[in-house]
Amino acid sequence: MVMIYLDHAAATPVDSRVLKAMEPYFSRDFFNPSAAYLPAKKVASDYEAAKATIAHAIGAKASDLVITAGATEANNLALNAIFASRSGSQSPGPSPRAGAAMARAAALRNPPSQDANIALYLATEHDSVRKSAERCGGAEIVVDKFGRIDMADLKSKITDATELISVSLVNNELGVIQPLAEIANLIREIKFDRLRRGIKTPLYLHSDASQALNLLDINVARLGVDLLTLNSAKIYGPKGVGALYVSHEVKLTPSTYGGGQENGLRSGTENVPGVIGFAKAVELAHEHLNGNRKKYAELKKLLLSNLHGYELINKKHALDNFAVLCYNGIDAERLIYLLEEKEVYVSTGAACAASKGEKSHVLAAIGLNDEQIAGSLRLSLGETNDKSQILEAAKIINEIVGSEYGRVSHE
Amino acid sequence: MSSSPSGALRGASPSLTPSRELLTANPSSTPSEELLTANPSSTPSEELLTASPSSTTSKPKVFVGMSGGVDSSVSAALLVEQGYDVTGVYMKNWSKDLPGMKCPWAEDLADAKRVAVKLGIPFEVWDFEDAYREKVVEYMLAEFKKGNTPNPDVMCNQEIKFKLFFEKAMERGADFIATGHYARVGERIDAMCPAEHKDLARAAWSVSEGHAASIRSPLLLRAADENKDQTYFLYRISEEALSHTLFPIGDMLKPDVKKLAEEKGLHNAYKKESMGVCFVGEVGMKDFLKEYIDIRPGEIREIETGKVLGYHEGAIFYTIGQRHGLYISGNKGEVNDGLPYYVVKKDLENNVVYVSKNLNDSNIWTRELKLTDVLMRGKAAGAMCPAEHKDLARAAWSVSEGHAAPVALPVLVRLRHRAPLIPATLKGDTLVFENEIKRPASGQSAVLYDGEICLGGGIIC
Repeated sequence: MVMIYLDHAAATPVDSRVLKAMEPYFSRDFFNPSAAYLPAKKVASDYEAAKATIAHAIGAKASDLVITAGATEANNLALNAIFASRSGSQSPGPSPRAGAAMARAAALRNPPSQDANIALYLATEHDSVRKSAERCGGAEIVVDKFGRIDMADLKSKITDATELISVSLVNNELGVIQPLAEIANLIREIKFDRLRRGIKTPLYLHSDASQALNLLDINVARLGVDLLTLNSAKIYGPKGVGALYVSHEVKLTPSTYGGGQENGLRSGTENVPGVIGFAKAVELAHEHLNGNRKKYAELKKLLLSNLHGYELINKKHALDNFAVLCYNGIDAERLIYLLEEKEVYVSTGAACAASKGEKSHVLAAIGLNDEQIAGSLRLSLGETNDKSQILEAAKIINEIVGSEYGRVSHE
Repeated sequence: MSSSPSGALRGASPSLTPSRELLTANPSSTPSEELLTANPSSTPSEELLTASPSSTTSKPKVFVGMSGGVDSSVSAALLVEQGYDVTGVYMKNWSKDLPGMKCPWAEDLADAKRVAVKLGIPFEVWDFEDAYREKVVEYMLAEFKKGNTPNPDVMCNQEIKFKLFFEKAMERGADFIATGHYARVGERIDAMCPAEHKDLARAAWSVSEGHAASIRSPLLLRAADENKDQTYFLYRISEEALSHTLFPIGDMLKPDVKKLAEEKGLHNAYKKESMGVCFVGEVGMKDFLKEYIDIRPGEIREIETGKVLGYHEGAIFYTIGQRHGLYISGNKGEVNDGLPYYVVKKDLENNVVYVSKNLNDSNIWTRELKLTDVLMRGKAAGAMCPAEHKDLARAAWSVSEGHAAPVALPVLVRLRHRAPLIPATLKGDTLVFENEIKRPASGQSAVLYDGEICLGGGIIC
């Protein structure tokens, strides 16, 4: 029995070429990039080059990136923009750039407001955004039944106190692609209006693009984002590596203090092999961007046409490798355990939400009832899949779903 | 030991111990009349005795509490194997995270559910969080505030598992509930009682039920695995629940349970056993209490001199006899003579903990323990009492009904889970030991035994 892995939205295996690229930096080129001797300088320049590769892939410069230990940390750091703009204290030891931004932001600062809409985020955002935003007076933006942002709701919720809007480029449970450029346009209008009325509150657009880097052509200018979260683990790179793109407009408070690495925003010796691997994964993803989309679209079509008895939840605007299926009346969690015995691995939603025993807030946000949520499976395709696997998986899922329907009706 | 009841009882005890064969027997097999003392698991109900094992409609219905651990998983597997109609239930009692500590409930739930799916049985989550907070956690906090060291597991079994869970299962048409506890259920039938005790058995019955009609009563028996026996936590569960309870692994040894889990391919065969407070996972009781009780630091004084030796984090954290975790800074020879200090007294009003180096301090040692909330598993205690203790049996009964009687009942006592059994005499609501014992923390339970039989117990004052 060969494993059939249909949970690429949760984790991806590290590509062998990525692993090979990383390998020398664990042992041969282990030096601390901050050390003074030449071999260390070489490591530092390789690290910077790797950052540049990642940055270029989204139309940014290496110095625009803050490397983090994954997307959750990057999202937390992004939401820091709000705390930075309202804390009066000066952060110690930032780079000249961050210092200038701080002065700028301090000049623009508004008196603190009790308004709850300081941070607006999509109701379907990952907990790393939701919980960060809740700390500073966040409010949810409604989505439609496909999981797309309700622009009218966004408009109605933006107040003069709103400082940050966080909308993921691709949702991690539905694969739904959000119209970021449209949101950016709205933000531009609002900024213009604020200037006109003499209101100096900043307004930033943050987006979590963790799921999208290997399937969408991302450009920060075109998207109009000020902050963008990237993740290596979802694109066949190593886990525990991510990045936050930070535009010159934005002032952040450091997440860690120390040696001043990452523009003073995240001190700590650089994760050189991780970033080298991340860069290689980005490079490979970009080479195959169009091929990947085509391949996944075909596999998804094959899968959906061979499965029975489901309702497709993410019918529109979804990324090519995401299929969310609802088997009404079935407990999808039972399906996971039954499928794992056949070495078919699927999920019911975000892995971290599922492990906390919570029902998916994403599926609730798009209007599914409890029974539909309980019956929903997320299948996310990827590099480990081919046509014969997809056909085999469909056969196994059909069998198991059939037996579960039988069991339920017997009860 | 000549006064111990176990000697007097030995004649009757073989018929009280459920036989190994019967415990694993198919529930619908017909036990012979001679084996009247079998575990109820082998005789689910009168009607079922003649039922066909393959008939799905007559399978006795069991709700088994599944915690995600290996013991309850194997219990569920055994029940399925024995032909019961099994439903797995995860009791959601506590799900709140503490700072720096993720409550393991969701993971435990997933483990339980995976096993249920693997066994092909229905699985449900029953939410007892509100009741648990009210009956167990609040009780526990209140006791700690009084300076006691309560046992939440005893309360959880009494109030949740063998009350709310039992009641809900019965409402749902259950014949039995089952748990993965290491304990056994025996059945006492007065027909098996030696002739000379028959009247006595009836007497006991008539006290408990007002008439002598019934001849059966359940007995809580110690587990086959003496090392794992959990009757200490079960002594307060009701007779009614016990008579409908199965402990499928009660006659097994823990290593065999693990082996069976492995053989059955249960993924949690080697899951680490939860340590610490049952409902807060790995976190210590101290960390839990800090979240819920306003704690003030105070002085540690030497009891003999009244001298301040150091400071404590909060008097409620300390138990009499405790030696570790005392922050006493010694700069004088008399302090640093290498002898440890023991907690001998707590003054909660003034938040002072008194310590002494005198291991013979009268606060540490005692020959008597006063109990409160004494609960005698009356039918067992009364019915099993030898003829010459007939009055005593009645006396023991009256203890449970609130009338302490100044009569002496010889018992074996367990003062902590897995602690050795110590002979003592129960006089009214006071335990008198043959030798001095180290005083257990007030609020803990003293559980009383007669050989294999758990007679009941009380809370140490």
